[in-house]
Amino acid sequence: MNGDPYNAVVRDCFARPGHAGDVSDEDAAVAFFEDQGVRIRLSAAVLRENIKALRFRAWGCPHVIAAAEAFCRHFEGRPAAELATFDTGRLMRDLAVPVEKTGRILVLEDTVRSLRAAIEDRYTSQGQD
Amino acid sequence: MATGEDFIYLDYAATTPLHPAVAERMRTVQNTAGFNPASNHVAGRRSAAVVEQAAAQLAALLNVAPASLVWTSGATESNNLAIQGAARLRAHRGKHLVTMQTEHKAVVDVFRALEKQGFEVSWLAPDPDGYLPVESLARALRDDTQLVSIMHVNNETGVIQDIAALGAACRERKVLLHVDGAQAAGKIPVDLGRLPVDLYSLTAHKFYGPKGVGALFLSQGTAVEPLMFGGAQQQRLRPGTLAVDLIAGMGEAAAIAARRIDADLVHLATLRRQLLQGLRHIEGLHVNGPVDGAYPGILNVGLGDIEGESLLLALEPLCVATGSACNSRSQEPSAVLRALGRTDLEAQSAIRFSLGRATTSADIDRAICLYQDAVRKLRALAPERAA
Repeated sequence: MNGDPYNAVVRDCFARPGHAGDVSDEDAAVAFFEDQGVRIRLSAAVLRENIKALRFRAWGCPHVIAAAEAFCRHFEGRPAAELATFDTGRLMRDLAVPVEKTGRILVLEDTVRSLRAAIEDRYTSQGQD
Repeated sequence: MATGEDFIYLDYAATTPLHPAVAERMRTVQNTAGFNPASNHVAGRRSAAVVEQAAAQLAALLNVAPASLVWTSGATESNNLAIQGAARLRAHRGKHLVTMQTEHKAVVDVFRALEKQGFEVSWLAPDPDGYLPVESLARALRDDTQLVSIMHVNNETGVIQDIAALGAACRERKVLLHVDGAQAAGKIPVDLGRLPVDLYSLTAHKFYGPKGVGALFLSQGTAVEPLMFGGAQQQRLRPGTLAVDLIAGMGEAAAIAARRIDADLVHLATLRRQLLQGLRHIEGLHVNGPVDGAYPGILNVGLGDIEGESLLLALEPLCVATGSACNSRSQEPSAVLRALGRTDLEAQSAIRFSLGRATTSADIDRAICLYQDAVRKLRALAPERAA
């Protein structure tokens, strides 16, 4: 044990949050959640049922920011339907999130659920090519 | 230790590096006088002479008699011995004690423990800059008040209390005054020969001495009950074989501090001005504690819109503290800053820069850049609040 509260994944995601920002596409699906002293905003553009672009904004501790970036890294380019497989427990293990921060990571889970609903609403109802 | 190979050290209020001359003195003592100073033989007497020399060096720094000092393991033990020891000894006269809301945990937790033992504690609030107005103290003193404990230099904000005035108020009411001087001794002039102080706690590692050794000053006629039993050392106040090498190191550190305290203060004041100048234009930044008049080795700043833990990580490789360094892994907002009227968020985002002898102007420039970049990055990451 080296006393470092952050593992390599957290450090990398926090230092290089390549998915920070907003999807500029005006048809982007957007979800926002605020709880536990944490704020997360996700935006996604979907093309032919695949997530073309996925971006986040987050206010919270390093684990929250890293979790949002790790989520975007994993799901960008994948079928939107795969968002249903998002596994908070696995993400917490990958990022070695302390158990007392579980509530904060659940805010991300809530935001992802909200994003899925927004994608469904925006793209399925419109029908896309 | 201003800058390591991979970090910039601005956490001198947490601890200071060992001065090379102190390390050399300790090595010499370990090799030549590492015996039991209580032993009545040639080797023991040699160690006793080392302890006497260290006591003389520390006494000179504080302008007191060497015999008024008791060696301890550090300020935490000194605080415990002073506060518990005085409160228990005088309990038959009354059980009212007075301290401040902005004290270090090493004092706060002692008073909390005494509250559980039936003592009544008045927790005095500071003014918005962190000072204790003497009128507030005078109003709190009662006929059954036995002890007041006030920190000399606040470890989070650098506020220097007016010990002369506060001590005079205590003397007027014949109440003992204990001062936690962990952040003051060896850093600012402390003349216990003149200050109306009965008990004064200090530790070596805050002024470039070794960790694990400290001292408690007791003014003439002041008595406390011992916390430990097991020998006749140090008039039975603090039994146990003395750590001769650590004590020698503390004495050497005190001697060095006595020689260069004025130069240190000038150096720190210059750097603090530079740091404040570089940070003060950042939107929303506030100084916790007084802008002027504080101990110049500490500058505590905060923002109302930044998450503290992320700020600390974004500042790497800068070594600074959020809240109290001794408690820096806690997510709790600093009680000191809350007492100054800061919100939880403002307190949690506070960063304490603490500067030292080896800090350079280049270190400060780098710290300013890192802080600006970190704030810019975290603000850019944050989403707007929901309408």
